[in-house]
Amino acid sequence: MAESSTITSSKPSSAILSAETMAKLERMELVSRKIFRGRMKGERRSKRKGQSVEFADFRNYVNGDDLRFIDWNLFARMDRLYLKIFLEEEDLHFYTIIDDSMSMDFGEPSKFFVAKQIAASLAYIGLCRGDRVSVSSFETSSNPNVIRGKSSTHRLLGHLESLSCVTSATTMAESIKRFCVKNTGKGIVVLVTDLMNKSGYESALRMLVAREMDIFLIHLLSPEELSPAVQGDLKLVDCEDGDQREVSISAGLLNRYHQTLAAFIEQAKSFCNKRSITYVPARSDHAADVLVNEYLRSKGLVR
Amino acid sequence: MSWISALGPLQWLLLLLIPPAVLSLYFLKLKRRELAVPSTLLWRRTLEDVHVNSIWQKLRKNLLLYLQLLFLALLILACMRPGWSGQSRIGERRIYIIDNSASMQATDVPPNRLDLAKKKVRELLSDTSADDVGMVIAFSDRADVRQGFTKDRGRLFSAVDSIQATSHGSDVSEALRAAAGLANPGRSSFDNLSDIMVADAIPATVYLVSDGAFGDLGDFDLGKLKMEFIPVGEAKTQNLGILSFAIQRNEDKTSQLEAFARITNQGDAKVDFTASLELDGMLLDASTGSVDAGQEAGLLFELTDMDQGQLKLTLDYEDALKVDNVAYAAIRPAKQISVLLVTPGNAALETALQTARVQQIASVQVESPAFLTDPKYQAATLNAEFDLVIFDQCSPSQMPSSNTLFIGSVPPSPSTPAIPISKPGEEPHSDGWKFGQPQGPVFILDVNRTNSMTQYLEMASVDIVEARTIDPGESGTVLMTSDVGPVFGVAPRGPFQDAVLGFSIVQATSEGVGVNTNWGNRRSFPVFVYSTVEYLGGGITESSSPSVQPGWPIGLLLSNRFKDFRVVAPDGHTTELSRGDESRHTFTKTDELGIYQVFAKGVEKPVESFCVNLFSARESNLAVADSIQMGYEKVAASGSIVQARQEIWRWVLLLGLALLVVEWIVFNRRVFI
Repeated sequence: MAESSTITSSKPSSAILSAETMAKLERMELVSRKIFRGRMKGERRSKRKGQSVEFADFRNYVNGDDLRFIDWNLFARMDRLYLKIFLEEEDLHFYTIIDDSMSMDFGEPSKFFVAKQIAASLAYIGLCRGDRVSVSSFETSSNPNVIRGKSSTHRLLGHLESLSCVTSATTMAESIKRFCVKNTGKGIVVLVTDLMNKSGYESALRMLVAREMDIFLIHLLSPEELSPAVQGDLKLVDCEDGDQREVSISAGLLNRYHQTLAAFIEQAKSFCNKRSITYVPARSDHAADVLVNEYLRSKGLVR
Repeated sequence: MSWISALGPLQWLLLLLIPPAVLSLYFLKLKRRELAVPSTLLWRRTLEDVHVNSIWQKLRKNLLLYLQLLFLALLILACMRPGWSGQSRIGERRIYIIDNSASMQATDVPPNRLDLAKKKVRELLSDTSADDVGMVIAFSDRADVRQGFTKDRGRLFSAVDSIQATSHGSDVSEALRAAAGLANPGRSSFDNLSDIMVADAIPATVYLVSDGAFGDLGDFDLGKLKMEFIPVGEAKTQNLGILSFAIQRNEDKTSQLEAFARITNQGDAKVDFTASLELDGMLLDASTGSVDAGQEAGLLFELTDMDQGQLKLTLDYEDALKVDNVAYAAIRPAKQISVLLVTPGNAALETALQTARVQQIASVQVESPAFLTDPKYQAATLNAEFDLVIFDQCSPSQMPSSNTLFIGSVPPSPSTPAIPISKPGEEPHSDGWKFGQPQGPVFILDVNRTNSMTQYLEMASVDIVEARTIDPGESGTVLMTSDVGPVFGVAPRGPFQDAVLGFSIVQATSEGVGVNTNWGNRRSFPVFVYSTVEYLGGGITESSSPSVQPGWPIGLLLSNRFKDFRVVAPDGHTTELSRGDESRHTFTKTDELGIYQVFAKGVEKPVESFCVNLFSARESNLAVADSIQMGYEKVAASGSIVQARQEIWRWVLLLGLALLVVEWIVFNRRVFI
């Protein structure tokens, strides 16, 4: 564990997933609190009844039912026709959406890199379990790259490498809307973002909630945001929209900033809790695999 | 607490404009460093509650601004020069009188009294306001205005610094008169004139910084002067001083000299001391003695076989004042006045010239009138071999190059050819001299007591058969007046002096020698002859050189044989003197203690010497007066701690600077505050 954390934190430019991390992730499994219908046969129980070895229920025979599913033993005892219903096992839809706004490009390692690490870790777990994995950014949310199977790992990593922060002012809400339009299937959505969106994040999350997805929000903040090491008379320039704020840093102002930050986090947390969204705060200076191995495990996303 | 403005109105205006300027700068916030942040979202929210309040709210918690405003406030406060215990002293006149007499050299207070006095005056000076005018006077036995009234403190400081220690005595009255005259310009400061106020008197404060070693000031009127006496020195200071040092010839054994010294002990304990006597730098004798507190003791050294030399007496005793532990005396170089008496015969005169006193100072050559035609006489007078030529009942054809005394005859007229013997009835005359016809009998009514030739004469009982009146002219002096007119006078002739006595003592006639006056039998006659030889011959009767106190003038009797002289001071400094008409020359550069030697041009040995010694009981007494008497007024010492304005503006300014440093630190690290 310590080794991998060293690798990820001290070598931010290294590969998104190291071999050790991948070995650890192979033993894990994504957990959904809800049972969703899959699209193909998979390893997960589905709500849909179908052909599997898992017995679900009996029901009366009606005309037209497949005679192969009649429980003849029960017919012999009860002299009535009953049909045996089995649970269908299907695949899980697992979506990861990474915030690719310019604000994610801050920190050392940058929040965007850490977000990609988290996304890669979770997606790899899904690939190993035969889930349907899709990793996208806000920019590419309308065109998700859906992959399946462990053999597609290189495609996953290649796709992640190709992602970068963009300056286009794609709002979070727009991206999620496009995502929801394109991906009709239900499943787990992991949203890795810093929530630094001036138009708000609430509408975007509401849309996801409305899709009845199992939503995980990984709120990734850099140390620059958590405790800014600034001093003097400054003109703060927003890297996204160029907004300027003149501040004279003082202890009082910093205190107020911390209060604002705490309120911001508390507000996000409370919003998520009310809507059954799992809120996971994370720091970009902490190793991603630690987050996945320990923190997300405790939150119930992986086991 | 009082305030003095250190700035003018315009400067104040500018200064008061600074705080609003600083405030406006804070509003404008001109210079800010740009910093890219991930998002201003949180900052915007943070600043929102600031923005909803007024702009003053923004300033309310700006520590930097308050520090700057505080600094400015301190700066303004400093410029107002807050201070304590001072009245309004704006435009005051202050006169600083500093004692630099000999006693101020005492080292009982480090480094010495004069330096301490100067330090105190400097402190006083630095506590004055910019509008005050000050004057610096140094005084010893005379006043020296070092700096007239000025507002320029730099000049006052340099005037104080320029004051040097002297070995002079103390007399503050002249300095106070100068202060009074300059402080109250409209007031006449002459005591014998009635005061006429031509302008309003402006009060002035006199700071007299001294050890108080000057006597009562009599009826000195302070007038509008406010006196503050600031004593310097320790009240009880041990000091041993020489009060006098003189050499005298032993009356019995003329070859033997005796040196006397008087030692005073101004301390409060009995002192044993050693005194060493040096002759020309070589230790000659030493003596030990002791003197009780407040008493004096005498010392006697016997010196034998000594013709001339320089004596220095040193007290080997460590005390606060060194200058009074040394005394100088010079044994006069043996000098004989060479006198030529030309007479056809005058027993009384010749006898008077044979007395022991005259013989001691003069060598007398007696010649008959025939000698006047001798080439030897011509050569001798041309070479100025004689200091004095006495013409008794005869007159030379030409006046000799020396002082002359004519008895019963008159000097020749420069234009008329010389006649060896004047004939009665003739009217010989000289430049400026006018002579009347012989008449008689004559009684002497009055003698001039101010001239040393006639000051001791008693002429009341002298009868004169016949005398002629004389008139020494405008430049001459009448020394003796008879019932018929002046009969004895003296007048200068170039560098020489001629004295003419209008009557003869004896008169040689064809019938023999007739007595003209009974003066020759009187006691006053040898006195007259001796005084005349001494005066006209430039005779020196004392075996030791005269001594004066430092700074006092000394009258030098310069031999008429030389024209140019130089005086060599103890420190080797040479002053050129040119003998004018008067044989007596006043020399004033006597500031240095020691032996001064007078050299004639072309003569190797000194022709005269004199000493400068302190010899002042007042200066040797180092006790510091606690008050001084000014007429009916008694001025108490204002304590060795000068009652000065205690100003804090420097501290305020320092505090401001410290604040500036704190502000700088805050500016750079304020995030941690």
